[in-house]
Amino acid sequence: MQVFLQTFIGGLSLGAIYALVAMGFSIVYRTMGLVNFAHGSVVMVGAYIASTFYLTVALPFAVAMVVAVVVTALVGLIIEGVLRPLETKDVDLMLIGTIGFGIVLNAAVIVIWGATGRAVPTPGFSRPLNLGGIIIRPYDLVVIAVGAVAAVAMWWFLRGTKAGTAMQAVAMDPEAATAVGIRVGRSNAIAFAIGAALAALAGGMAGPVLYVSPALSGVIGIKGFAAAILGGFGNMPGAIVGGLLFGLIDAFSAGWFHGFADVVVYLVFAVIVVVRPEGIFGEQTVSRA
Amino acid sequence: MRRLSFGGLGVAAVVVALVLPYLVNGYLMYVIDIAVIFMLLALGLCLSLGIAGQINLGQVAFFGVGAYASAIFTVKLGWNFWPAAVLAVVVAVLAGLLIGIPALRVQSHYLGIVTLGLALAFTALVGNLSIAGQAEGLLGLPVPPLGGVDLSSHYLYYYLEVVALALFAPFAYFVVFTRFGRRLRAMRDDSLAAASTGVEVPLARMASFALAGFFGGIAGVLYAGLVRYVSPPSFNIDTMFLLLAMVIIGGRFSLTGTLVGVIALTVVREELSDYASVAQFVYGGLIVLMVVFAPTGLAGAPRRIRQLLSRGTTAAAGGTGPFVPAAAGRQTVTADHPALEVEQLSKRFRGLTALDSVSVRVEAGEIHGIVGPNGSGKTTLFNTVSGIYTCNGGRVRLFGSDVTDAKAYRLSHLGVARTFQNLRLFGRLTVRDNILVALDRSRIWWSWRYILWPVGVWRGERELRRRAQDLLVEYGLEAVADSVPGELPYGTQRRVEIARAMAASPRLLLLDEPAAGLNQQETNQLAEIARSVRDQGTTVILIEHNMSLVMSLCDRVTVLANGTVIADDVPEVVANDPEVIRAYLGGSRELDPAITPAAIADEAAEQKAVR
Repeated sequence: MQVFLQTFIGGLSLGAIYALVAMGFSIVYRTMGLVNFAHGSVVMVGAYIASTFYLTVALPFAVAMVVAVVVTALVGLIIEGVLRPLETKDVDLMLIGTIGFGIVLNAAVIVIWGATGRAVPTPGFSRPLNLGGIIIRPYDLVVIAVGAVAAVAMWWFLRGTKAGTAMQAVAMDPEAATAVGIRVGRSNAIAFAIGAALAALAGGMAGPVLYVSPALSGVIGIKGFAAAILGGFGNMPGAIVGGLLFGLIDAFSAGWFHGFADVVVYLVFAVIVVVRPEGIFGEQTVSRA
Repeated sequence: MRRLSFGGLGVAAVVVALVLPYLVNGYLMYVIDIAVIFMLLALGLCLSLGIAGQINLGQVAFFGVGAYASAIFTVKLGWNFWPAAVLAVVVAVLAGLLIGIPALRVQSHYLGIVTLGLALAFTALVGNLSIAGQAEGLLGLPVPPLGGVDLSSHYLYYYLEVVALALFAPFAYFVVFTRFGRRLRAMRDDSLAAASTGVEVPLARMASFALAGFFGGIAGVLYAGLVRYVSPPSFNIDTMFLLLAMVIIGGRFSLTGTLVGVIALTVVREELSDYASVAQFVYGGLIVLMVVFAPTGLAGAPRRIRQLLSRGTTAAAGGTGPFVPAAAGRQTVTADHPALEVEQLSKRFRGLTALDSVSVRVEAGEIHGIVGPNGSGKTTLFNTVSGIYTCNGGRVRLFGSDVTDAKAYRLSHLGVARTFQNLRLFGRLTVRDNILVALDRSRIWWSWRYILWPVGVWRGERELRRRAQDLLVEYGLEAVADSVPGELPYGTQRRVEIARAMAASPRLLLLDEPAAGLNQQETNQLAEIARSVRDQGTTVILIEHNMSLVMSLCDRVTVLANGTVIADDVPEVVANDPEVIRAYLGGSRELDPAITPAAIADEAAEQKAVR
């Protein structure tokens, strides 16, 4: 039972990171109908920037996170700006374009930071808490809290602000949104910037939990995507639930399957997509002839 | 002329390929050996991604399966290299079918990420399996034995690879430019229309993954024989993205472009071999630039240059010639059953009831009109009858046999053909190829001939092309036969779509607003075509808003409103039905006598008499 609860808390913390990645995928997908294949690489860039400012520049962890979020959001804006000519043309081409950006970012990370990874020490109070025999790392609770705050902020942005409402409109019908004077291009750019900011948050928070290395992009990209699809792609609450669920699957399968945990996780993901591509909260769509 | 220059290029390529080893040092020879392996691997990706339109990011796993399987068979089980190689390719094909399963359910982005995930699962799997040597991989693979030839020499191994390339690359071309590949291309451009023309879309998707696995497996076996060492990093995501870059930069719709892309990226990587990350940066950047500025890749460059040179002197838009019916005289249709019986058919979309217990009976040999206001369920009826939607109740019978909820491709093979309201031609296929797709009535298992009896495929192809030529002449499309639909005027595209539907020799033809966007002359030609089609024995059902066309053409008319049938009779009776008038004109009392259905029917009758 103790092991179970400890794994559970660890899984939730991992899940909060996946939820952040999944929300980044979803905000771009719901706005533009595009899966950003560079998203995993953007997460990794965020992780490297945060760790650099935290370790090398020796800023406080929270400040390093803010810097990482801002810089990474700019990377998101650049990606959207370059691919903008394709937005009205061909989604498959845009998809391949984002893969190209992913390759570029991965290469840039190796050129700047080298091919070997780095371990980021857990910031702040690192002594584990002991709650009635259950050992909890305080950092796990911090990650869960940051995830929750980001989710509430996203909810407020989409519901409560003009820019957020405009983005909802673009997501529903880009042509009608244009007709009432919403600039679709700007809306897409905001979506990409927010997606990248969420990615940086995820990457920065993941630094002390996972090893920061060039391999991070593929792993966290796919798992974040899996989380998004589990909840129903493009659905924000779904992304959060999917993220938490996937974090738990990941944490428990690591305990049960050891080295084969990744194989199991990817297979589970494939099965979910085949059995229920619309996810838990997604709606089935019809194709029109 | 063009054919000649292609032949010249081919001969030059063969000569260069044969003398190449005499020109390069040992290191470069090894680089070229690897490049040839990547050519075969990239052909597999091109076939699935570019030709069949399946976003396959698992190609590197097929490569790995081929290499690892031959390594395990030879090192762990002690087999001879060659039987191990054959079985390894078989295993790679099976892996292709396995990784292709998600394609039955999802496409595009989802398929891309699932196949990528499965490729990651493969490296995670071999990195942990003890039989695969875990993270260290397997060492000491045997040199492929071949008489007295020492294949541990990279120079001699090169010739083995050239033989493999000379065998399998032409096979890829043969597949792409004959009926099977044409179906894959049709499916890529529009899977819905492809299904309606008889392409067994799920099987074709799986077959494209099997092809990808086949080429990946061959590449993997050759890699195992060359490098004689396998380990997980050789088959990781970076390799996958390099492969993708080769295909995208070369041109994903073109096999030749893909081969050029492999050469181009090999050169880039060698020039930057001291700076691997910079090379990666460069080809990632090239992908981005290519998709934004040159989506057809290097393969599209000659065409782009030609377009730039001939700017301002664009050829006149292709129109249609006259319609020349193949057979004169009306065939009398004697059928025991009506062509189509729809009974109590219902279709709901969540809350909306699009069809509410609709019953329609269409006699064989009729031209039957379906009219009704927008949103009355006409197209939903067609989509349900032609297998695009499944219904929520009711029966559909085709010439007496129950076809309720049959798949679109099955209905096509049972003799149903259709056109679409918003034109669904295969956009990257020429008009001739559009028609060839529909002319091919074989089922997918006919394709065993590709492996065992290619001559049969070739003969069948000549026969298909001859019939396509006849059909193009009949529909006056000869002049535009080698254009792609997007270059043609709207009216011509409509004509192509009807010709494509008729190429399938249907017993029942469904036309969805065939006169929309046509001018008066084109509309008259359409009426002529519809009558001729009926006279040749095909039953025609058309949805149409052009009332004078409906009244003059149809033997019987069904009127739909709000998903129910409100009238079904001969045109003259329907036109005077008060409920029909109300449905059309919203119950207004101030009717303009000139636009009532009755007035239009009178006018149509006059036109009939004049003719």
